[in-house]
Amino acid sequence: MSDKTYDKQHPAFFALLAALIFMAVGPIVLMFVNSFKLDVDIISGTGGLLFLPTIQNYETALCDVLWYELDHMDFCSLKFGGAFANSLVIALVSTFLTLVLGCMAAYALVRFKFMGRDTASLTTLMVRMVPPAVLLVPVFGLWNNEFCIGKTTMVGELIRDMFGGRGDICLAGTHSGIILIYVAMNLPFVIWILQSFIVQVPHSLEEAARMDGANPFQIFFLVVLPIIKPGLAAAAIFTFRIAWNEYLLASALSDRDTKTVPILIVNNMSEFNVEWGVIMATGMLLAIPPIIFTLLASRQIITGMTAGAVKG
Amino acid sequence: MPKIVFDQVSKSYGSVQVLQPLDLELNDSEFTVLVGPSGCGKSTTLRMLAGLETITSGEIYFDGKPIGHLEPKQRDIAMVFQDYALYPHMNIAQNMSFALRLAKVDKSEIDTRVKRVATMLHIDHLLGRKPAELSGGQRQRVAMGRAMVRDAGTFLFDEPLSNLDAKLRAKMRTELAEMRNQIDKNMVYVTHDQVEAMTLGDRIVVMSDGVIQQQGTPEELYKTPRNRFVAGFIGSPTMNFMDGELTEQEGALWVRGDGYLLPVAAEAAARLASHGTREVAIGLRPSSITNVINGGAPVELQIVVSEYLGAQSVLATRCGSNELLVEVASAVPIQHGTTQTFEVNTEEMMIFDRETGLRL
Repeated sequence: MSDKTYDKQHPAFFALLAALIFMAVGPIVLMFVNSFKLDVDIISGTGGLLFLPTIQNYETALCDVLWYELDHMDFCSLKFGGAFANSLVIALVSTFLTLVLGCMAAYALVRFKFMGRDTASLTTLMVRMVPPAVLLVPVFGLWNNEFCIGKTTMVGELIRDMFGGRGDICLAGTHSGIILIYVAMNLPFVIWILQSFIVQVPHSLEEAARMDGANPFQIFFLVVLPIIKPGLAAAAIFTFRIAWNEYLLASALSDRDTKTVPILIVNNMSEFNVEWGVIMATGMLLAIPPIIFTLLASRQIITGMTAGAVKG
Repeated sequence: MPKIVFDQVSKSYGSVQVLQPLDLELNDSEFTVLVGPSGCGKSTTLRMLAGLETITSGEIYFDGKPIGHLEPKQRDIAMVFQDYALYPHMNIAQNMSFALRLAKVDKSEIDTRVKRVATMLHIDHLLGRKPAELSGGQRQRVAMGRAMVRDAGTFLFDEPLSNLDAKLRAKMRTELAEMRNQIDKNMVYVTHDQVEAMTLGDRIVVMSDGVIQQQGTPEELYKTPRNRFVAGFIGSPTMNFMDGELTEQEGALWVRGDGYLLPVAAEAAARLASHGTREVAIGLRPSSITNVINGGAPVELQIVVSEYLGAQSVLATRCGSNELLVEVASAVPIQHGTTQTFEVNTEEMMIFDRETGLRL
């Protein structure tokens, strides 16, 4: 039977499949190949696969973390190591916060009856409809001028003494500032996706837990949360990737010390030169963490988590 | 094991009253069955007792202490749910020990208790498995085990067998009955299946439309139902009802209806004499009608369908315009479409007021 089903496929099916694979894998292959070429080879136009592979681009990209001196450059302007750490911290912390807040909010919206529940549920989605670019200017203004601790206040002076600096202590340019906006941006989506998972948790499971003597928090953390783990994993993958790849807001809200990897890549472009090789190499490095994260998280995505809980 | 008393307990959802104010006493160490058709309020009653539903008015007392405001865990009760409600992410041992772990019971104590109950329910070989890997009957046992491990004073069962297939249900019913005798606890059992109610209950509470129709032992309900609803609900196959009129002939009381004229037994006649009404409905259990002629009250029945059940056959027959079920021994050959003379045991005939449905 299985042989027959394979035989019947139309040739166009394979053509479509090949096109899809080409579209999905093509850019990555291109990036991978070009990351091992010198800029001269990349823009020479011969474009073929005949070139002398070099890891010079990677060396340039990683110049601040390498333990040996590089021959081809005298000054390391790229701080990949720092940016990578920034990206990691911002993406992980914002994902964690989004999930914690999101699952609780989603649970409340699904299970508790309160005034304005439907409105609250709807408005969370409406926040999602606002493009990040629209948020950029107001958030930039707020983070720079409003959410600040004055330099003359006690707390401000304390922070000044510990970390140094000149002006007021503002949210702009800090990890927290970027994390905050990422959490706000991703929260509606996470609430929305988790709601659909929580709805599927049978009521009687929570009632059984209540009968077993669990308080509302124990019900949530010991019964509901483990069951919606696939939903949490899916939400985590999405939020991590959005936070990891985000460029626009980070470009405006980060400063020299808090810039993320996507911002770093663009720094390789100037009006005089575009360092394609380094951009490709950094791009390859940028792609690795989301892949690892997705692989780890997707292991949690197993269907039928509630199987066996209740009868049909 | 507390004595549980419902005092004028009622339940409303908004303006809809699903449970009329109800009084109920559940005695110590008794197996009480709440039975009734879907939507009669039996599950609501149980859930209020469990603490899963709030009480609109009235109060529930455990040994005289009001408990209506208490959380489920403060009531010392364990419950078995209709759909099992096993935690899918825990294995069977974890499922069963969940309540004990929450109560911070000593680990070795948990182990021994889980083992003991699991052995008793024959699920000790399944302790390491997840609920998804069990069959329906095994899950049912785990659900029961989870309640039993608690060692609570009162056990609540919410239609625990309704999701099992017929054969398994019968088996579990027997095991439950056996368990009932071993465990000296209050048990409250909700079901819509009158067979379960009859076989398990020390006492049965028949409910309909949010009102208790009658409560008593299985025998009381079967032999002396208070009204037409209880009479029709208890017993299988169900009781036959036919409209009729009381008439007096030759100094005796008779009941006459479409296609029949039956004498009223002397004892019943004495009770009926004081009653004014002539418009009645008679109730005949299928087993009260027989095709063995022995000098009793005869009735002509046209046989429509015969359902062969082995030793017994159930005949769907017609008496005038009334439809009548008759249970007879299969030994006697039955022919469809023929009209035969059957005999009615008038001692077992029940007479109901047609208006109020009360038994006279």
